[in-house]
Amino acid sequence: MRNEKVSEEIERKQIIDQIIAEKGRSAQAVIPILQAMQEKFNFLPEEGMRYVCKKTDITPEQIVGVASFYSQFRMQPVGEHIIKVCVGTACHVKGAGHVYDALRRHFNLTGAEDTDVTRKYTLEQVSCLGCCTLAPVVQIDEITYGHVTSDKIGNILTDFEHQHGNKGAAKGLFRNVDGSAIQGEIRIGLGSCCVASGSEEVKKAVEETIQDTGIQLTLKNVGCVGMCHQVPLVEIVPQKGESTLYAKVKPEEVRNIINSHFKPLNPIGRLKNSLYRFFEKVQTDEVWEGVKKYAIDAREEQVVDFLDRQLPIATQYRGTINPLDIQEYIDHEGFTAMQTCLANWSTDQIIAAITESGLRGRGGAGFPTGRKWRLVADNLSDTKYLICNGDEGDPGAFMDRMLLESYPYRVIEGMVIAAKAVGATEGYFYIRAEYPLALRRIRQALVYCREKNFLGENILGSGFSFDIKIYEGAGAFVCGEETALMASIQGERGFPKIRPPFPAVSGLWKQPTLINNTETFAQVSYIIREGAAHFASIGKGRSKGTKVFSLAGKINRGGLIEVPMGITIRQIVEEIGGGVQNGKKFKAVQVGGPSGGCIPAELYDTPIDYESLLEAGAMMGSGGLVVLDESDCMVEIARYFLSFTQNESCGKCTFCRIGTKRMLEILTRITSGKGVLKDLEELEYLAHWTKKGSLCGLGKSAPNPILSTLKYFREEYLAHIQGKCPSGKCQSMIQYHINDSCIGCTKCAQKCPTEAILFKPHEKHVVIQDLCIKCDACREVCPVDAVQIF
Amino acid sequence: MLKLTIDNKAVEVPPGTSVWQAAKAAGIDIPTMCYFEGSEHFTSCMVCLVKDGASGKLYASCSTPAEEGQVVVTNDQETHEARVAALELLLSEHVGDCEAPCQLVCPAHMNIPLMNRLIAAGDFAGALKVVKRDIAIPTILGQICPAPCEAGCRRKQVDEAVSICLLKRITGEEDLNCETPYWPEIAAPTGKRVAVIGSGPAGLSAAWYLQLGGHQVTIFEKDGRAGGDLLKIAGDVLSGEMMEKEIAYILSSGIEILYRKEVDETSFAKIVEEYDAVVVAVGTLKEGIPSFGLTRGAQGIVVEKQSFLTTTPKVFAIGNALRSSKLAVRSAGQGKEVAAVITDFLKTGSVKPYQERFSSKFGKLADIEFEQYLKDAEPTARQQSGREGFSREVAMVEAKRCMHCDCRNPESCLLRELSDRYQVSQRRFSSPDRKMVEKLIHREGIVYEPNKCIKCGICVRLTKQHGEEFGFTFIGRGFDVKVGVPFNETVQKGLSKTAAMVAKNCPTGALAMFREEEQM
Repeated sequence: MRNEKVSEEIERKQIIDQIIAEKGRSAQAVIPILQAMQEKFNFLPEEGMRYVCKKTDITPEQIVGVASFYSQFRMQPVGEHIIKVCVGTACHVKGAGHVYDALRRHFNLTGAEDTDVTRKYTLEQVSCLGCCTLAPVVQIDEITYGHVTSDKIGNILTDFEHQHGNKGAAKGLFRNVDGSAIQGEIRIGLGSCCVASGSEEVKKAVEETIQDTGIQLTLKNVGCVGMCHQVPLVEIVPQKGESTLYAKVKPEEVRNIINSHFKPLNPIGRLKNSLYRFFEKVQTDEVWEGVKKYAIDAREEQVVDFLDRQLPIATQYRGTINPLDIQEYIDHEGFTAMQTCLANWSTDQIIAAITESGLRGRGGAGFPTGRKWRLVADNLSDTKYLICNGDEGDPGAFMDRMLLESYPYRVIEGMVIAAKAVGATEGYFYIRAEYPLALRRIRQALVYCREKNFLGENILGSGFSFDIKIYEGAGAFVCGEETALMASIQGERGFPKIRPPFPAVSGLWKQPTLINNTETFAQVSYIIREGAAHFASIGKGRSKGTKVFSLAGKINRGGLIEVPMGITIRQIVEEIGGGVQNGKKFKAVQVGGPSGGCIPAELYDTPIDYESLLEAGAMMGSGGLVVLDESDCMVEIARYFLSFTQNESCGKCTFCRIGTKRMLEILTRITSGKGVLKDLEELEYLAHWTKKGSLCGLGKSAPNPILSTLKYFREEYLAHIQGKCPSGKCQSMIQYHINDSCIGCTKCAQKCPTEAILFKPHEKHVVIQDLCIKCDACREVCPVDAVQIF
Repeated sequence: MLKLTIDNKAVEVPPGTSVWQAAKAAGIDIPTMCYFEGSEHFTSCMVCLVKDGASGKLYASCSTPAEEGQVVVTNDQETHEARVAALELLLSEHVGDCEAPCQLVCPAHMNIPLMNRLIAAGDFAGALKVVKRDIAIPTILGQICPAPCEAGCRRKQVDEAVSICLLKRITGEEDLNCETPYWPEIAAPTGKRVAVIGSGPAGLSAAWYLQLGGHQVTIFEKDGRAGGDLLKIAGDVLSGEMMEKEIAYILSSGIEILYRKEVDETSFAKIVEEYDAVVVAVGTLKEGIPSFGLTRGAQGIVVEKQSFLTTTPKVFAIGNALRSSKLAVRSAGQGKEVAAVITDFLKTGSVKPYQERFSSKFGKLADIEFEQYLKDAEPTARQQSGREGFSREVAMVEAKRCMHCDCRNPESCLLRELSDRYQVSQRRFSSPDRKMVEKLIHREGIVYEPNKCIKCGICVRLTKQHGEEFGFTFIGRGFDVKVGVPFNETVQKGLSKTAAMVAKNCPTGALAMFREEEQM
């Protein structure tokens, strides 16, 4: 026994030695080392961290400070599988809380416990998985489940165990089709939303079909089309004739889709095909509900609406190019802007073009990009850094993720142009570790770019050298703030610093540093190619060009959209998004996530540009648009955002650290029916000072959700203080009742986890209030909407 | 050189100077807690916020570099409010008391824990000095005081209260019985004359502290002996001998006492005319007895709260004359307070209320928190005594039961000083679930109380600068961030070289040396 322990320890040390050899001994390697350790051991054993301190320049002060700062790191071992419940905004408004509670009940977790008794599953909440259109989303290890409700958790766990068991068998089916006899092309969306909703399985089905039938097809993976409400998407492009887009495709439908477009080469293949299919149908028990007609013709109205209002610049050629196919990007004008800049343009010319285009930072604050580049260019130094900020932590935003996943080369091209403009010598991608697909794609894209000498020494003979490294963010929203982000790259806690000095003067390692958002870089090549004047002609007022938004929440057609600045909220919601789901009334749209605010129905026609949003009490933020309907409680929404920022506050400055906590306490008091009138005054006072006094953008903008809801929905706050939640959302103020429509089907009684509803077939059911935990399961399951909330 | 304007004052500083330093150079004091000369700024406490004259934005002056042409406002209404807000937020999570509950409930506001500690160390003379800061008649009170302090004592919730009253008594007795009783320093003569009418606990206390203040005091006593109401119980619960000894000692400070001087309306008017200030300490007012034309309410003479000023200029009233009670210690306390008010009045010409310093209070201890407090005390049971009081030995044993509920850095604490200066309220944002008391005590070295920490990081920077193997680090983030030693090592291991240094530079009472006493 003892020997076993000793050998285990020796092995552990060997693993750490190897990690150190790979990541380096310097203090800045701390986060990559910890990430690698956790990958190996599934948590961070203290002995291991002590050993790292012994072997490297990393000190105990640093390693403990860093490991305890980032939420990615765990100090305790976890279960075999990790269940992540997304509690991003879109998931939240669609009931992620109920799902999380149901999972806790399922595993009998109490108090601070997060792992079940058998240590098989560990349950976590994550701030956003970036699959907002599939809300609520639950991820078990690598498998993502969408539209999860509290009564379906049994199903997903069963499915996961099944999938998990089949893991080995699922691999290795891919077969490359010989291009000589192409009958057509099948495009499958491989953005995270598509993958999460099963596009991998669809892809497998296509591959199998190709194998079985001998139909000569090019199978093509394309990036995100943006129509995340219709995923998985499959587009069939025949050699001749119109292409057809299929939405919400299920694996078992693939064969029919393909067969309806293409004839198998040999009759035997066709026969075999339908026979196999018959047996499969008998043998498998697949239940896919709800798909009646799955082909969306591109001329059909809603698709036209969804796509036509949009103007793809950052997302140009969406749905047509394979994210990683560098040749295809080149064929679609890729890297021409870069080549122009490297070969013919001076630094001043590039900066002048960007300045003239009116491009402003897409990270949220809207600082003029040209001016920022000028500042960095003017600061002379042998070493200058360039950082692409892809630390998108907004719950309810996934633009950066999609751009990185689907348009890696466009972002890289923008970065190289910027590097040339400001004289940067080294570049960094800072990408959240929660975006594994984006990381994988970018990593691969960088390899291909180096092969083509689009990166590296003396790029394309221009004499300009530049390369990019990837830095994985370890889970801290505050690291989206540029000074905190740089601290993080330097291997420190993500504490923001006061500006000035601005990064342009003294940034990473105290060198001049250009830091721009992913989307900003993605718009650069278009400006160079199409001309600054053209870009400046798009948009409104001082907000030029387009903006990418993730549209989610209570909307018919959610997804990723790119629209010209100045478009109104009404146009986005009604025309692109197809209006509010289930015919409910539009109440507000939450713009800009935790830094933004809620814009009410009476301001439906507010144009989306930096200034108008600020004026309305919101903020561009990183571009999340979450649509709220009449059933959403605005006080609860404010509380939700505040609990997010409070949890993400780095804890450095007094106003943010304590101010957000005290505001959250007041909001919790109000939403639990214990608020008093004086609370509103104190809330406003705290919001005012937290906004004015905080050190960085996180604290300064944290009160926005409160201030905007207080401004537009004050009567809801007052109603709560009088003991009533008008939308019936705040649990401690509501009761579940079953009305006379009850048909006595017993479904509610079966689902009720606490026996608050007794099993009475054919009789009207009753909720026993003392036992009811308000989990909403009965209301979800009732076939006749007899469960009501008072 | 950079030219900027701070509070309309032109200031010139070399580049690289912070706004805070520039202000300091110009003689403008901006408060700060997290700034520490010689280490990189951290910008956490946010009490140094100043306003940019051009944009109206607030920023931290400690870490913002001064710029050419900058206009800085450090002292307007808004910056003041910002500091109040920052301090109130910091106090809302401050789990620490500046002063112990016993001291807070003592009507004379005596520094009981300090007295206890000195007795515990056998320094009775030192203890007496502490007592005499607030109480002129400890020997007398030690016999008759109902000891409200003991009701406030936290030890009561563990077993029984510390026997504070008897401890005070022995300090007084030891002093009176020794050859050279303690004499506080008497201030240089001010040339002012103060009349005190009555020589009970209130009058005697007022007279003593006024005399120490350098004024010439005359007591007008209607009886042939000093003591007022005390005389009624002398020889009974109160040892007459010790009482006389203590009164004689007080009077020997140079106080003039006129016996059998019944003051009436006419003589009162004359006294008021003759003296620079008058203290009325005549005891409980009886029906029909004149009150010198002073306004009377239902309970007694009406005075301004906290300054004891009556409706007649320069006439003050204290003790049972305001409200009858059996609490001599309250009269004694008022005597001390009115003396302070009058001393200030004689110096400045205006009467200001007597002000206690700001004192942080976090409220009741939870049962499990006593464990933390007991780390400072001996577990022995409360010592018993007969009429004669404690012996020195027993007193020392008893004093060691004190749990040191007061802060270790009440004088140097910047949070207290600023809270006092900005007159803030601690309760405003108090939370229903406060953090738990934690005391990490190393009796040979440092004491660390994490929940008094304001997360300024000075200690983290210092331990790093001085190459501690473990040092201090920030653990966790957000509201729950803690400063502590990595890998749960002990505080002494974390601070193997820097303990004294970090204790000295901690802006609050979170870090202190166990043996250091800053209230002496």
